[in-house]
Amino acid sequence: MSAYSITEPSRRQKWIAGTLVILYALITMAPLAWIFLTGFKSPPDSISYPPKVVFTPTLEGYVNLFTTRSRQTREYLDSLGPARTWYEEIVRKREMVIAGPSKFGERFKNSVIIGFGSTFLSVFLGTLAAYGFSRFKVPLKDDLMFFILSTRMMPPIAVAIPIFLMYRSLGLSDTHLGMILLYTAVNISLAVWLLKGFIDEIPIEYEEAALIDGYTRLQAFYKVVLPQAATGIASTAIFCLIFAWNEYAFALLLTSGTAQTAPPFIPTIIGEGGLDWPAVAAGATLFLLPVLVFTILLRKHLLRGITFGAVRK
Amino acid sequence: MATNDTPLERIARATPDSLAGRVGGLGDRAIAWIFIAPTIVLLLAINIFPLIWTINLSFTNYRANRLTLGSEYVGLRNYERILTDPDIWHNMQVTAHFLFWTIFFQVLIGFALAWLINRNFRGNAFWTTVIVLPMMLSPAVVGNFWTFLYQPQIGLFNYVVSFFTGVDPASFQMIGSVRLAPWAIVIADTWMWTPFVMLICLAGLRSIPGYIYEAAEIDRASKWRQFWTITIPMVLPFLMLAVLFRGIENFKMFDLVVELTSGGPGSTTELASINLKREAFEKWRTGYSSAFAIILFVTVFGLANIYVKALNRVKSR
Amino acid sequence: MTEFLENLARLRRGPWEMVASILIGLGVVMLMQPFALQLFSWSLIVILAGTVMFMIVSHFPD
Repeated sequence: MSAYSITEPSRRQKWIAGTLVILYALITMAPLAWIFLTGFKSPPDSISYPPKVVFTPTLEGYVNLFTTRSRQTREYLDSLGPARTWYEEIVRKREMVIAGPSKFGERFKNSVIIGFGSTFLSVFLGTLAAYGFSRFKVPLKDDLMFFILSTRMMPPIAVAIPIFLMYRSLGLSDTHLGMILLYTAVNISLAVWLLKGFIDEIPIEYEEAALIDGYTRLQAFYKVVLPQAATGIASTAIFCLIFAWNEYAFALLLTSGTAQTAPPFIPTIIGEGGLDWPAVAAGATLFLLPVLVFTILLRKHLLRGITFGAVRK
Repeated sequence: MATNDTPLERIARATPDSLAGRVGGLGDRAIAWIFIAPTIVLLLAINIFPLIWTINLSFTNYRANRLTLGSEYVGLRNYERILTDPDIWHNMQVTAHFLFWTIFFQVLIGFALAWLINRNFRGNAFWTTVIVLPMMLSPAVVGNFWTFLYQPQIGLFNYVVSFFTGVDPASFQMIGSVRLAPWAIVIADTWMWTPFVMLICLAGLRSIPGYIYEAAEIDRASKWRQFWTITIPMVLPFLMLAVLFRGIENFKMFDLVVELTSGGPGSTTELASINLKREAFEKWRTGYSSAFAIILFVTVFGLANIYVKALNRVKSR
Repeated sequence: MTEFLENLARLRRGPWEMVASILIGLGVVMLMQPFALQLFSWSLIVILAGTVMFMIVSHFPD
């Protein structure tokens, strides 16, 4: 569309449209900004009325997130001598001592292990299957592709009951391996559909040339197709990672201790007298930050991802 | 797209006869199956096998917390009980309220935003990315921090409402009140998922070639008329796609709402999945809840058929 | 409209898929409507019928 086109919006129209969109963007960012700020408030500041926008920032929320503390008498605290570290000092001010690390670090680590494990597996299997569907004549191809997609649509609770029973008898409940397999099964549909879209776009002539040059089919696959599909594979991986990172229902129902991920854990961070909001906010901030970064990396392929590769822009 | 018709034959033709032998080792058919089989096996083991098990359980009175007690087949009694239970019917209406209003607001706001962004003002790509952020976050964590925003007195939401309307922020509880809680979940879901509808609408708007508008302009069609006869019909398939997907997702909604209200107060925000989770993992009525799960599954599966049809229609554009 | 009926008679995929979709849609509305418990009770059968029909007719020629 040229700048002189009769259908190009006028400068004034653009200005109004821009203002409205920016206004919406600011409103939509407010809750996120609020959570970010709350993470740096002290517990009394976080529940003050009216809500405080200006406050003295403190790392108390983050300290509370990573530690468990116990309340002590003043005499006992005095007998301990001066605090050795900055975080101990923050805790001492509340007349408490650090009793040990909290479970957050562990839960975060579980999220990382399960997230990366299932992402690797689903992208690996997904690439193979997508290549198979894209390049070969597979009987009942459309039905298989629909079958794969329909597994994505399944309500998690609908399969959670037998998976719970199955994992209980196989000894897979509350293990990393069990969760990795489960998230792989959920993610693989997205991986196959997305990657098939990406591989379909690679001209088949490259492989034809490679075959004529004496490559075998498998060589052509990993020397010609894989490098061409690298961007697609990377963005598929990010989508799978974000899903596994965010997943809640299965994690809530099938894990309790060793393999619990962060999403079911964050809302349960309790301080003295109710939820410790700065600690919860700190946990949410740390948990959401990677996703924000990944979303920005992914922005060009977002549309593809949310439509299973159907809309390419 | 044309490439995936018969690539096998094309390559077969492209492979000179003298080479055909050396290509050997594994035949194409074998490679295809070796590549696809692991995926299918995994899905059969972790999705289809449990599903069949659920179907089987749904005809029994099994309870997963009592290992010693056996179970017996009760035929269709579980289905009969669920489909005549006014409480489950109530859950479905709560789901319907949630579904209808979230889709209504998301389409309205999402389409408006897409239309505005499509004016191509300077910096629109940057602001699109900013707007999109909420939809990528963890629904459970989002639900959790919306409970904080909804706190009476201390919450940002109540404060902002009182700032603009003058209502005392302590006088209403978004989550605690029977009247407002169904709207609290609608607002949080709309905040999160409007960008989804917006992105798809934007793709629809951008797929309309400029010359159609130019032709309409030459025919002196009014802007209003152009909007209704060109823009809307051309975006409609995309909108259908967004609505169907949001519909399926919100029909089985669990994470966001369970963290936000966990179904309360009373059962005013108890969506079908939330009640199902209670029946299955708190009351341990495994047989009964399996039947409930199958009902939800059949509904989602039916809608998924329509969704894939809509997907293919958009794809062919 | 006549074309629609013709294709229906000739067992073409398009119109039959449309009919099945409408059946599924009807079932979903029955499942969630607030008016009559009777409709709710029969919704599963309708959705199931629509879904099975969809899966069959999607194998009709285009």
